[in-house]
Order: sequence, then structure tokens, then C-alpha cells
Amino acid sequence: MGHRPAVSIAPMVILAVLAGMFALAAESAIAQADKGAPAAKNWTPPKTPWGDPDLQGTWTSDDCIGTPLNRPANLGETLYYSKQELAQRESQLAKQQQNDLQEFVAPDQRVGTGPPSHWAERARRPCKQTSLVVDPLNGRTPDLLPEAQTRRIPEGANNDNPKADSWEDFSYYIRCISRGVTGSIFPVIYGNGQQILQAPGYVTILQEMVHEARVIPVDGRPHASPRIRSYMGDPRGHWDGDTLVVETTNFLGNRTGIGLNGGGTPTSDALKLIERYTRTGSSEIEYEVTIDDPKTFTRPFKVAFPLTQEPGYQNFEYACHEGNYAMSNSLSGARAQEKAAAEAAKKK
Amino acid sequence: MRKTLAFVLVAGVVSLAAEPVWAHHAFAAEFDSSKPIKLKGTVTKMEWINPHAWIHIDVKGEDGKVSPWMIEAAAPNSLLRRGFTKNSLLPGMEILVEGYQAKDEAHRANGSSITFTDGRKLFVGAPAGEPGAPPRKDK
Repeated sequence: MGHRPAVSIAPMVILAVLAGMFALAAESAIAQADKGAPAAKNWTPPKTPWGDPDLQGTWTSDDCIGTPLNRPANLGETLYYSKQELAQRESQLAKQQQNDLQEFVAPDQRVGTGPPSHWAERARRPCKQTSLVVDPLNGRTPDLLPEAQTRRIPEGANNDNPKADSWEDFSYYIRCISRGVTGSIFPVIYGNGQQILQAPGYVTILQEMVHEARVIPVDGRPHASPRIRSYMGDPRGHWDGDTLVVETTNFLGNRTGIGLNGGGTPTSDALKLIERYTRTGSSEIEYEVTIDDPKTFTRPFKVAFPLTQEPGYQNFEYACHEGNYAMSNSLSGARAQEKAAAEAAKKK
Repeated sequence: MRKTLAFVLVAGVVSLAAEPVWAHHAFAAEFDSSKPIKLKGTVTKMEWINPHAWIHIDVKGEDGKVSPWMIEAAAPNSLLRRGFTKNSLLPGMEILVEGYQAKDEAHRANGSSITFTDGRKLFVGAPAGEPGAPPRKDK
């Protein structure tokens, strides 16, 4: 042996960092830092050879990994961290990176329920926001309408009382079918890659996880007939100056929600999304989406976060159902639980 | 102590430090938080498959009988981004695994701590870009 870890490594570094971030935010919720990311001076947004704004490249929402969709209530209307808070968060990220690079796991490490923490994909710089929801001002998803409150949330999509009788009870994400439009771009713990490719009249976005490909016409054509419905909807784009605006309608409804990975209460067939992609520098896009579902939410709301380009970052294939053992394992787990419950009932 | 570690079902309560960070399924659907396990085993293969990789190990029980176990790892694309390659874990290597057993009591577990037998990490996580890529500094 003779090897000793140089630093005692906390087992759940991510969570410690998140807890730290939360505490920092709570300490000075009044602070309001520099807002967003204005376009850099002396930087001209590039154009494609055919004259459209050029958004091409592989982008990732990694920097807001761990930022909650809904702002903790105690932070009130504070959307941005202060400069001081951001500096602290930056040093926490640096510390986390140092811990990741330690050769040894601390002997007293407590075992959590996720994989080893140093295997996780990480934010490269601190997210400036306290929540992904930016409107309403409280940073929280609006209330559900009564008709939406009874809509079933599938197993694995934030369902707090799961009971899987069949593979059909699982979320469309767990079934490797789709995370929906917002679920495919909101930052999650891995696989946040968004590759944008353009051609005259089209913008295509290839999304790593669950390998979606959104082919978005930007040639002014109207939406498909409302009788044509799909999981990812029918997108139509246009340019508002240098901003790509994408309106998506024609959703099937009752498939995925607006939570991370498409979780939460499923949205309806009346869902309309308006996304805005604005390149604010050579390696940053400000992304914003307005979510309007008059059969689900009491009002429209907005989610926003940055997408960045990173050296060497690329999409890899995500053949989701290749080895989705979790599906059969979860079903056999549910049966084992039922059996145990039945045996316990007999003994009574 | 380590030499007799072969296959130890840890009876003590191991506190769950946090919500699961698996992305593609709920920990609670598949694994039993009341069945913590601690295994020492020899790698027979690693399946680099989506949505999560699986490590196969042979575990020798106290009676000398060898049982195969499957250990769930992270997403293969994440592992690659963090510097884990197909040479990081090869058949014949011995590893220690701590995690929780499957609810149906099959020889499957999640791998919350997976190390070599001397406590070294299986690999050291590279910065969160392509293996070896430094984070961008201009923001």
C-alpha cells in the first residue's frame, strides 16, 4: 500500500457544491449581478454564405447543470447571483475539479445512490442564474389548471408514487422515445450536446440524448395541418435580426412535461413553444423559450439559459435502448415489491 | 480484513447521501436502499452500452463459489468525456464495489463507489470536456 490520498474527498461533491450554492444564494438574495450576456463589443455575428445568421457548431447547456428549474421560494425575485457569489461558486467548481483529479477515494466515503461523483459531467463555469425559469419574476412554473392536475405523471418523470405494472407506465424518456422539445435542451446531468447545422431554408438541431434531430424550416412555410401531431411537434423558424425564432405547435399532448428530461405533468396538445436562439459571442448563445399551454398552465412562462461551445466537445451516439436493462430491472423490482407486500399481508 | 472481503453484504445502515444522480431511471425503481452491498470481484467484461454502462465481475464467496454480478455504471458518453477509455478497465482487474442490490435480489447492483482494491479510483476524471480538454477561460 503506502498510498495515501492527498486530500480527503467528499463523496457527493456535486451535492455539497449545490448545497453551498444554495446557501450562498440565500445569504444575499438581494444581490442582482450583471444581467445575462450582452453581445461582446467589436464582435460581429457571423453569417452563412447564403446570408442567414450562422449558429452552427456543437453547443452545450452544461454550465447550468444543477440549476433548478424552479427557484427556491426564499430567493424571491432574485434571478442573478451577485459578482461575489459567482466568484465563490467559481472557486467551488475549481475545488470540485481538484477533487475529481485526486487519485484515491477517501476511505470514509459514504455511499450514495449515484455513480462515483467524479464520473459526472460538470459545469465549466458557474451558472449566473438562481433558476432556469426567468418569467414570472418568482422564477417558478405557474400553477396547473384543474384539468391538468389530474393528468397522470408517468413512472420516472417525477412521479412520487410509482407503481409500474407495464413498460407503458414509464415515462417516454425512460422508454427511450423522447424527452420532448424542452426536455431535450434543458440542462441535465449529462448528454447536453446540441449540434446546429444550417442549410438554405433549414436549421437542424441534433440533440445527443435520445438522439433527436429537429429539422426546422426557416423558409416561411406555414405549419402542417393541425391534424398532424408528433412528440416533438411541428417547428417553424424565422430570423428576427440575428435571432433564430422557432415556433413549435402540433404536439400530440399528454406525453412529456416541461420538467428536466421532459418530466412532470405532461403538457397538452395545445402547447405552443416559442424559442429564441441569439448568438452573443463566438462561443455563446442565449437560449430562451416561452411555454404557452392554455390547457395546462394558468399563464405562459419563460425559461432561459446559455448554450456554450467548448474545445473538443462533440455529440456522441446515444443509442438509448441499446442496453436499457433498467426497464426490465425496474419491472422485476416492482414485482418483487408486490410479492413482499403480499407475503407480509398473509402473515397478519 | 481486505483478504476476506470477498463478498460481504453490509448489514449496517449506509445512509443515502442524496437523491440519485442517475439520469435515465429512478434508483428506487430498480435498487433497494435497504440492501447495501460491498463486493470484491474480478472484471470479466465491461458493456459500453446506452443508456448506462455495466461492469461484469466474478465474486468469490466465503464458500469459494464464484458468482457473476452486474454493476451499473454511468452513461458511456459521460465516461468517455471524463477520460474513461476502453483500456481503463480490463478483464482480470480486481475492483471493490459499494452500492445497493437489485430489488428482485438478483446479482445486480448500482455502483456508487467503484475502485481498485487499494482504493485508487478506476480512473481520474479529466476536465468535463473531451478527455484532456481544459475548460474555456474567456467567460
